[in-house]
Amino acid sequence: MGVTMSEKKYTKDHEWVSINNGIATVGISNHAQESLGDIVFIELPSVGKSVNAKDEICVVESVKAASDIYAPIDGEIMEVNNNLESDAAIINQDAENTGWIFKMKVSNLSQYDELMTEDDYKKFLEQ
Amino acid sequence: MPLEIPLKNFHESNGAKMVPFAGFNMPINYKPGIINEHKNVRNHSGIFDVSHMGQMLIEANNLHIKNLEKYIPLKLNNLRKNKSNYTFLLNENGGVVDDLIVSLIDINSKSFLYVVYNASRKNEDENIFFKCAQNAQILHLKNCLFAIQGPESIEVINNIIEVPIDMNFLDIEVLKYKNNSVIVSRSGYTGEDGFEISISTEQAEVFIRDLLENKNTMLCGLGSRDSLRLEAGLSLYGHELNENITPIEAGLSWALDKDRLNDSTLNGNKILSDQLNNKPSNKKIGLISVNRTMLRDGMIIFDSNKNNIGKITSGCFSPNLNKSIAIGYINSHFDKEKEIFCEIRNKMELVKSTSLPFVKKNYKKNGSNNE
Repeated sequence: MGVTMSEKKYTKDHEWVSINNGIATVGISNHAQESLGDIVFIELPSVGKSVNAKDEICVVESVKAASDIYAPIDGEIMEVNNNLESDAAIINQDAENTGWIFKMKVSNLSQYDELMTEDDYKKFLEQ
Repeated sequence: MPLEIPLKNFHESNGAKMVPFAGFNMPINYKPGIINEHKNVRNHSGIFDVSHMGQMLIEANNLHIKNLEKYIPLKLNNLRKNKSNYTFLLNENGGVVDDLIVSLIDINSKSFLYVVYNASRKNEDENIFFKCAQNAQILHLKNCLFAIQGPESIEVINNIIEVPIDMNFLDIEVLKYKNNSVIVSRSGYTGEDGFEISISTEQAEVFIRDLLENKNTMLCGLGSRDSLRLEAGLSLYGHELNENITPIEAGLSWALDKDRLNDSTLNGNKILSDQLNNKPSNKKIGLISVNRTMLRDGMIIFDSNKNNIGKITSGCFSPNLNKSIAIGYINSHFDKEKEIFCEIRNKMELVKSTSLPFVKKNYKKNGSNNE
């Protein structure tokens, strides 16, 4: 279930976003999974839910702590990665590909343009 | 600024992720991650650097012992040589200032109490130790402290230090490593067989490299140390224990010398003997999540009518049970057979109560490994 799409962009909260035909695929960055450590559970968002950028919409639990995942842009949740329900560790193995978390219909594309490119994100991590 | 343990560079070059803990930068896990480190300890063995812990040698003379007996609920004059004892420092209300291990050992044919205590409680503990003994007779051990834990621990250590074959759980000996004295106890904090070794900082790195020659062992951090101790139902200071909880409320009355509860020189002796005779108001229990939600420290425990009946003090994911587990306190009068709930992200989640430990202990006693 590979995801090959538009340029991948990143938020300051360490989500990645990739857009294809107006549908954004969202996950957490490889850097985020490394700093969380072993991920053991994910509470996925509800399909059909309308969300705004920066809303807390789901939670990943690592052995040590729970971390919120934010909506990167405004939109509506279209699909969630149900494979993560039985095996959240997929995020540790392949955070930026098969470890995607949800897909959303984008209502405001200009918000995507404002996110960081991969190079910008790398620089952001070095700060 | 957090303090650094002597082998900081060694750990970092071995992939440790360092986090602040109890005033020190400590390895929380290495490259394999908390779950793999945890499983390796249960199936083979693991090596923990716990050099952040306090270590003190107190000359075992009658005056110091008398002074210390105000805080420690044991008969310190009757301690058996080369034995470790799990015990406490108690405040005036019988609350726990710290939980610690006190052992009686000989060094250069002089008797000492060897005390190992929590890094997070160093100030409180050392105030008491220095109050009880004069500086000349108290020695702050600057040694490193390593724990080897797991069923194969004996194989890891035996290639390096000759361990007497009759050494059992809570035995302690001064042994030789490359002609230098090291303090070796058969103990730990994971529920498994294992050893703790106190060794000079000069020898520490060579020693840990020697241990790692065993191909089935691995470095383990505080992350797996916590999930291992939680599965074994062992208490952690600042979570299950604090100054407002007595050892009896914490379900640890087995560690008290009952005769000492009649001794008015012991802090909190009346409160403790009352609690022993009349059930304390709260009791410690184990909890297992029913759904795959995680139980965490601080969560409130409810009955089916949403009455607050208690609180979680430690929670984590259990690699052995593949579920979230927790330790908490609930009202002693609550019937454990009834349904209980935790509020997790505004939802009432059903949890199951259970007795502790979650995973059977595997200590070495009288030549066999059992509970």
